[in-house]
Amino acid sequence: MTASQILCQGLTKSFGDSEVLSQVDLLVEGGLVSVLGPNGAGKTTFLRCLATVLTPDAGSVLVDGLSPLHESDRIEIRRRLGYQPQNTRFAAGAKVFDVLDYVAVLKGFENDRKRRHWVFYVLDLVGLRDRAGDNVGDLSGGMIQRLGLAQALLGQPSLLILDEPAAGVDPDERFRIRDLVADRRADATVFVSTHLTDEAAVSDQIMVMNKGKVCFIGTPGALAQVAAGHTWTQPDRPSAPVRASWRQADGSYRCLGTPPIGSTPVTPTLEDGYLTLVS
Amino acid sequence: MTSYQVDPQRIERNWNAITAELDVPPASWVERFLGAIGLPAHITRVALATPSLRRLWLLATALVVVIGLASADSAAARDSIFTFLMIAPLLPVLGVALAYGTEADPAHEIGLATPMRGLRLVLTRTVVVLVCSVLALAIVALLSGNAMALAWVLPGLALTLMTLAGSTALSPKRSASMVSGLWVVGLLALNAAAADPVSKFVRPGQALSMVAAIVAGVALYQRRQRFDIVSDIS
Repeated sequence: MTASQILCQGLTKSFGDSEVLSQVDLLVEGGLVSVLGPNGAGKTTFLRCLATVLTPDAGSVLVDGLSPLHESDRIEIRRRLGYQPQNTRFAAGAKVFDVLDYVAVLKGFENDRKRRHWVFYVLDLVGLRDRAGDNVGDLSGGMIQRLGLAQALLGQPSLLILDEPAAGVDPDERFRIRDLVADRRADATVFVSTHLTDEAAVSDQIMVMNKGKVCFIGTPGALAQVAAGHTWTQPDRPSAPVRASWRQADGSYRCLGTPPIGSTPVTPTLEDGYLTLVS
Repeated sequence: MTSYQVDPQRIERNWNAITAELDVPPASWVERFLGAIGLPAHITRVALATPSLRRLWLLATALVVVIGLASADSAAARDSIFTFLMIAPLLPVLGVALAYGTEADPAHEIGLATPMRGLRLVLTRTVVVLVCSVLALAIVALLSGNAMALAWVLPGLALTLMTLAGSTALSPKRSASMVSGLWVVGLLALNAAAADPVSKFVRPGQALSMVAAIVAGVALYQRRQRFDIVSDIS
């Protein structure tokens, strides 16, 4: 399986008077792309357009040269796609196996034996095989997220779109999901939206969105460098206006912006770079 | 002594296939019943995707049968058959209204992003309910000797297709409410105006239903892509 190529040109989407996506341009082929941004940045709308479930008002999305605006192309894109929407939920009372078996049917696995093979393959991947006969309502939040990831992995998609797959789960589950997602980059183009910079740190590229626009795309190292020379620490809360500041564990304040005279810049982190862009 | 070399990958594949069969949880009795009457497992899975759909499917089939049996009562048969013919076609409409969209299936958006066309999905569910209802009613009609019990099928198909076509512009619930309202008002007016309203279900009613079903079917086909994307209608 070859990773899909994604080309977006001038992608724009509005809801009512509110422009949620504005002229998004992008070219990605392979690897793990983390989509970072504050609430309302347009991450979910962008991912829904990529996942072909939402039609843009202007501009285009091409997946391997196929346009979701054409019915036959859209079906072909969906054959290559694994998608986990935001706030993944499943019908309470449904069994874990049944949920995946249903999605496998929708993905075109009509042969019973082949379908079961895929269902148990993804259950093994996400560590839920022993819960196959359990009701979805009996699963923890982290397990539900892993189930959401499992359905997206059915059929080994070449394009994987995951909208906050680790939202609302404890750190142990979060790292487990992060590792599962990171492992997929070998044979797929993977887009993952997140609010957390430590999750984005393992990606090949980070795309930062703010107010419907892409304000950065590059490696994690390059994002950190955005704040180079604009990050410093000081013992007290800054009195002059700065771009952002926060109290650290040792009681000192980490600041972003134009450093005051006499301050010593520190090595910026991914978080510093991200906050410099969106604050 | 002869030794045999077996490909380890083949052993693993076979073992995986065996354990997959063993680990499949038991199917519900509705699924087993549909399988027993010959419905392929993947169709059953689509038709009964969620527990709420299973309940809906059972309710729709049971209601049609119960009302059909009640209408077979010879006392006041004319009135009861008219009531039956008014209510029965609305059950698949109700099924459509409640079986599609985020409210019916929390994983609706996951389904949208798969190669299965949305229209095929909703039609599969509708057809399974319709076929099972018709089969059950055919038995009722045979037992009661009242073939009129089957006169709702074409109107039911027409109303269902009209609801689906309407769902491309309105929410499924609103579309179903409008179609059902028009149907009930129309039949009440017919009941008030005609001396024998049940007879209208025979030739004119069936012909009209056929035409309405074809028109709605064509409109539905032309607007089928509305079932393949996230709806902004409510």
